[in-house]
Amino acid sequence: MKKHYGKFLVSAGTAAAILAGCSGGSDDGSVTLELFSNKSESIDTYQALIEQFEEENPDINVELEAPPEAETVLRTRLTKNDMPDILSIGGNATYGEFAREGVLRDLSDTDLLSQVQSSYVDMLGQLAGPDVEGSFGVPYATNANHVIYNKAKVEELGIEIPKTWDEFIAALETAKEAGEVPLYLTLQEAWTGMAIWNGIAGNIVPEDFAEMKNNGEASFVEDYDEVADKMLQLLEYGHSDNFGIGYGDGNNAFANGEGVFYIQGNWAIPEIREANPDIELGTFALPSSNNPEENDLVSGVDVALAISESTEHPEEAEKFLSFMLEQDVAEQYMNEQSAFSAVEGVYQEDEVFDGIREYFENDRLASFQDHYYPAGMGVENLVLDMLINGNKTEGLEVIDSEWEAAQNR
Amino acid sequence: MSNRINWKATILLILGTIFILFPIYLTVIIAFKTPQEMSGNILALPESWGFGNFTEAIEVTNFFNALGNSVFVTVLTVIIVILTHSLVAYAIARNMHKKFYKFLYFYFISAMFIPFPIIMLPLVLQTSSWGMDNLVGLGILNGVMHLAFNVFIYVGYVKTLPVELEEAAIIDGANTFQVFWKIIFPMMKPMHATVAILTALAAWNDFMLPLVILSDSSMYTLPLVQYAFQGQFSTDYNLAFASYLLAMLPMVVLYIFVQKWIIGGVMRGSLK
Amino acid sequence: MKRDHAFLLMVIPAFVLFFIFHTYPALQGVFYSFTNFKGYGNWDFTGFSNYFKVFQDSRALGAYGFTFQFAIVSTILVNIISVLIAMGLNAKIKFRKTLRATYFLPFILSVLIVSYIFQFIFTHMVPDLGQALGIEALSKNILGDQDLAWVGIVIVAVWQSVAFNTLLYLAGLSTVDEQLYEAADIDGAKAWSKFWRITFPLIAPFFTINMVVAMKNFLMAFDQIIALTGGGPGRATESISLLIYRGGFEAGQFAYQSANAVIYFIVIVVISVVQLRILERKEVK
Repeated sequence: MKKHYGKFLVSAGTAAAILAGCSGGSDDGSVTLELFSNKSESIDTYQALIEQFEEENPDINVELEAPPEAETVLRTRLTKNDMPDILSIGGNATYGEFAREGVLRDLSDTDLLSQVQSSYVDMLGQLAGPDVEGSFGVPYATNANHVIYNKAKVEELGIEIPKTWDEFIAALETAKEAGEVPLYLTLQEAWTGMAIWNGIAGNIVPEDFAEMKNNGEASFVEDYDEVADKMLQLLEYGHSDNFGIGYGDGNNAFANGEGVFYIQGNWAIPEIREANPDIELGTFALPSSNNPEENDLVSGVDVALAISESTEHPEEAEKFLSFMLEQDVAEQYMNEQSAFSAVEGVYQEDEVFDGIREYFENDRLASFQDHYYPAGMGVENLVLDMLINGNKTEGLEVIDSEWEAAQNR
Repeated sequence: MSNRINWKATILLILGTIFILFPIYLTVIIAFKTPQEMSGNILALPESWGFGNFTEAIEVTNFFNALGNSVFVTVLTVIIVILTHSLVAYAIARNMHKKFYKFLYFYFISAMFIPFPIIMLPLVLQTSSWGMDNLVGLGILNGVMHLAFNVFIYVGYVKTLPVELEEAAIIDGANTFQVFWKIIFPMMKPMHATVAILTALAAWNDFMLPLVILSDSSMYTLPLVQYAFQGQFSTDYNLAFASYLLAMLPMVVLYIFVQKWIIGGVMRGSLK
Repeated sequence: MKRDHAFLLMVIPAFVLFFIFHTYPALQGVFYSFTNFKGYGNWDFTGFSNYFKVFQDSRALGAYGFTFQFAIVSTILVNIISVLIAMGLNAKIKFRKTLRATYFLPFILSVLIVSYIFQFIFTHMVPDLGQALGIEALSKNILGDQDLAWVGIVIVAVWQSVAFNTLLYLAGLSTVDEQLYEAADIDGAKAWSKFWRITFPLIAPFFTINMVVAMKNFLMAFDQIIALTGGGPGRATESISLLIYRGGFEAGQFAYQSANAVIYFIVIVVISVVQLRILERKEVK
């Protein structure tokens, strides 16, 4: 997706090149690497960094691919046996599966892993499971699943930052009485519901739920009952069309003063600011229980960098990863993306995160529950179905049975 | 009664065009507006007719590259289709009395009832392992996907062509291929037009096949580019609509100039 | 017989391409449906177990339900509207060429892009209008409503498909002899009875083909759904094509979705045959 104008003229040339079957290397000794990213938010950042990298390494071209429905596309590519050279993907179930299936290159012997915080290396290791030897991804950026708030509105309404669930509900009530939209929901896109689901579940559901579920010791009906209740309760504080507005429009609306609170990850912050550079935002961890001590921040590896096992240019790919880990590069990435750094010595200093910094410092972090669910069960749509129908028990039963079906397929 | 103009029908039909033209009108005015104008009356004309959104869309989506890809795939598809499908249809039409050709005819036609998703998964696997996940591969696959319908209308047409000319040519010493090239192929011209139009439109607007076949975004065709950029358009509807308009424009312009021909071609095909 | 050989040679290019890129993958799909192939890695035969699972899969059954509901309603609407427009265009009207060109315009546009435009209309324009006019039913995005989202998809599908079907009917109507109508006029026949007694029997063959072709196209719906709802809200508008695409490439479902595709194929063949039978019988009448 590099911008080259006048490529129109070259189109015929492109066709000829396709016929000739150009795949990666070309005659002049230069190497082309494909970087696959699952985040559309970071396209501009990546493009700028790639340009810088290419200047420093004139014999390496990096081409960025960041398609929509990236996970499906990536799995299609896996089926095609056509994996990109470098992957920039979330630390989730898909990553775990890739690591188990031997799709990714073991990076244990490189000096890459020593440059990042070891706790996140361990987190990726957990996703791969205990049977997997080696480290297959470099944790790069980490995220925070939090409540974003409109500072001006919160001050105007005299709301104190809530520390417990009851306080949070009280705050939403205050906003509702003042005629504001208390919580801006963007459930036309089902995945945005998972920010809430994970935020609540992170502190309520046992950390090893997935393992217990697979051993038949836990179920959604039992363990997610409270999560479902609380999610359904939050629906009462949305706007008039909770299921009709999507993420992009939601960011836009929140940026322009609709909604006091917004449950999203840190990745939404640059988007909101782009829509309204003047908005003042704050963040806090979703207080899903009534015991403030128990309320940790849900955080995971947002971006893990990995190299595919099948790449023809592992050295060049490693070079790119090393480049990404350079202090000033990582700083640029974290600043532009409002992300938290897994790279040693790089910190996120944006004051929007003042409210959650202590969680990182004191290691009060909980993980994203859904990262441990079986890939391909499409849990976000099941959760959405439950929210729309408002039928908690039936909804959770379906999730239970779909889990089992996904494991059996 | 036959020479009186039916005004009732005329007026109803004119009113009906509002449904057709409204979305197009909307696309055009939004493509020219600025984000600030969006908060006002959405249906109003833009304050100025600047091309800023378009130049930005061209730059962001690398429009000319996608246009080149779309043109390349469409042309390649049409060439493959016209050459191979007319050939096979001629052989079938002239041998329908033989079991083998009759079987072949129904074998091809039956594909009309096979929705693409049914062969999609194995096809993706197969094309990529053969290094065909590119524009040339796409052209070839397009040719295959349209075979059923094209054979159907080509065969129908060839049957209406008189055999006498061919027989005369054979007596003059021409072989079957020469007969085809010199006599039948030119006589099939009206059907070539129909097949070319329908195939070209389908290939140009196709989304699903390129989506699963192409991996490299520098090969994306116009519809695929619109899809790929949804995330980046985000809520900048002006940019998005400018990009949509650009993507639709080549076909619309072509249509305005040759609509009589296109409609005629399609109608001819439907009578076969 | 040299001529016979030449004919065989003519068949070869299309036949080879078709067999390799259509029949062979179809056979492969059938083959994989009896395995646990994930799309990569090792696999084993699993017999019919994928087939049994499809029948118990609420997601698959939901997709079938939605796809058929959508396809049947769209097919009927498209055919009714197209016949009406075609009859209008076939009448003695002013601006005939311009009107015909306008009604055919949607056919040349990309389904995906048209759907994006309608997505904007449903999400922003209709609710704004509904709120301004105080009409409760219109003030929400119908694509965000599980019970109504499919209507939005039908609207877009119909908007686009009417063009092509109108043209097919128009072609059929142009074969109707004008004198028949004049004779009927002399008999004093009403417009309604003229339609059923003269027009319909003559365009009936087109009706058959149009119904079958439209139905098959709608059963494949993919582009509209990706652009309008992405299959949502929840799974409310997930079509079979979308399910096979998404499911097929997601973990471990390649073989499973292949089984789904085989079932889908059988269903479509049965429907097409039934449709043809019923409609042909009507024609004979």
